Formats: sequence, structure tokens, C-alpha cells
Amino acid sequence: METNQEKTANALILMPEGRLDFGAAAEFQAALENGVAEASGAGLAIIVDCAKLDYVSSAGLRSFLVGARTAREKNVGFHVCSLVPGVAEVFKVSGFGQIIPPLADRAAAEAAVAS
Amino acid sequence: MSDQNNKEAHVSLLEELVLLVVEDDGSIAHTAGTPGFGMAVIGACLVELNMQGALDPDLDAMHVLDASEGRGPAYDEVLRTVAAGPVARTEEWVLKLYPMAQDLIRYTLDALIARGVLERGEKRFLWVLKERSYPLKDGREQKEAKRRIIDTLLSDDIPSAHDTVLLGLALVGGLLEGFLTRGEIVRLEKRIQEAGGIDLTVRAVETALSQEQLIRAQEMIYPF
Repeated sequence: METNQEKTANALILMPEGRLDFGAAAEFQAALENGVAEASGAGLAIIVDCAKLDYVSSAGLRSFLVGARTAREKNVGFHVCSLVPGVAEVFKVSGFGQIIPPLADRAAAEAAVAS
Repeated sequence: MSDQNNKEAHVSLLEELVLLVVEDDGSIAHTAGTPGFGMAVIGACLVELNMQGALDPDLDAMHVLDASEGRGPAYDEVLRTVAAGPVARTEEWVLKLYPMAQDLIRYTLDALIARGVLERGEKRFLWVLKERSYPLKDGREQKEAKRRIIDTLLSDDIPSAHDTVLLGLALVGGLLEGFLTRGEIVRLEKRIQEAGGIDLTVRAVETALSQEQLIRAQEMIYPF
């Protein structure tokens, strides 16, 4: 699994790709935490664009929770978007979607950041 | 045991859950005998095994990643059973493992006594540490579980991965009634639902308990 990133005027966009299972969770969590630190210093929000994220296990979900918590602690906006159906189901069943409601696509996430 | 030795002992999620049924006077709360608490104990064990990298559940199955033993009797017994069994969803595993809950609680109480958190008294346990505080795995001194659950409920923060599981399992296990009034639970219901159990295993425990209650209800109505 890898996590690419882009930067816009308002957000640091992280784009995980592949399977987020126990083996990938620590690396993804570090990418989120580093992203939050960078975003905090630059006054940006975080958008996690999950369009190419195929799978999330329990351990992978935990890394999202840690990332969202870290962002909240540092007062950094944290949004997720473009979930494929299997990942959307994990967010829904676990209740993570209640804490961080997923947005339909990148445009919706960027609009949320800009508002 | 000295304070220094106590600081070296680490209290796991499973141990924290079991400590929640040990009352301040050392007696065991009546909720310890309920199916909800038994399944919460199974859930705590499965979450710990997930955090250790031995298991990794998803919505379809409980995947075994590392079946090596030496993790302690409770974890070894659960892991051995899951590794030897068929591929099944987590809620199915919770139901299959549920008969082991009493043994897991006993192993856990033994471990807490060995670590110096509790002492065995006559028909009750004695708290060794003042104010029921104890160290967690990362070595930080932590407030006791009840206090952290209350703090989580009174906050708007996103809960830690540990505390959301603890709250979710305490809810399933019927433990919140032991330290919150009915009115407080009603008032905090939205926050309880939002912050508790953001975890696939906890959700599976909830499903398993519902299934078990349905089976028992059917047995009650159709006993023959």
C-alpha cells in the first residue's frame, strides 16, 4: 500500500492506494500523523481521498481514528471522501462515519474545506 | 508489592474491562454473570489480539495473522481456538467463544493478582493501588477506567482507539449502569452512541449479543 499526496491552496490531500490491513496500518497512520503535522504548520486541512483504497480492516480503521483524533487535537480540519462501497460499509458499520461523515468526492471535500 | 513494581505492571484492555466489575469494596458486580459481559470479555480479548497483530477482522471474516502462543493463557486459548476453526465472521466467533468467557475472566483476575493490582480476600478482591489508578501498556499512568469513560462521555473530543473500545464494551456488558444513573445514561445517550465502539469487533459483539438474546427469547416462547 502507498499513500501519495497533493497540496491545494486550502488542503493537504492524502491518497491511500491498495489494501489497508494490519500490515499497512502503522505506515498509513504515520502518513496521517505526518500529514496533520504538516497541515497544522501550514494552516491547511486534511483531505483523505479514498478513491483508490480498496479495503480497510479493523486495524486499518483504527489508523483512521488515530489520524482524525490527532487532527482534532491540533485543530486541523479532517475530511474523507470518495469511498468505494466496501470501505464505505466499514465506515458505516463501525460508526466512524458518525464522527467523520464521508463526503461523496474530492470536489465536495474541497468545498467543505473552503467553506 | 512496592509502588515501583506496580508501575512496571501493565493493565490491558481485557484487564480494564474485568476491573470494571470489581466494586470499590472488592465485591463482584452482578453484571459479571450476564451474557453481555461475557461477550464483552470475548470482544476485549479479540481486540487485544488485533492490536498485537495476531488477528485482523473485517466485515467478512476474522483473519489469523500470527497464531504463535506465549501471549498469556486467555489470549493463547482464544487464538488457538480461532486458528483451528473454520473461516467465520467475527460475530460468529464471539458466539462460539462465549462459553470460554468464565475461564478468561478467571485467567484475567489471576493475572491482576500476580501483577499486584488486586489481592485475593475472603469472597472478594482487595484493591492494592490507591484510587484504582494503574499503568497502561505505554507506561503512562492512567486514571481508572470508570473515570476515563466518564471523561470521554463529557467531552466532544474524538476518543482514543483504546477508550472507544472500552466504552463500547462497557455498554454491551451493561457496566455503565454501575457508575452512571439511568438519567445520566439517557442524557448522554447520543454521545455514548457516537463515541462508543468505533471498532469492527465491538460492533460484532453487539450483533452476537442480539443474536443470543433472540435465541433465548425464542426458547422462552417455544420451549419444546
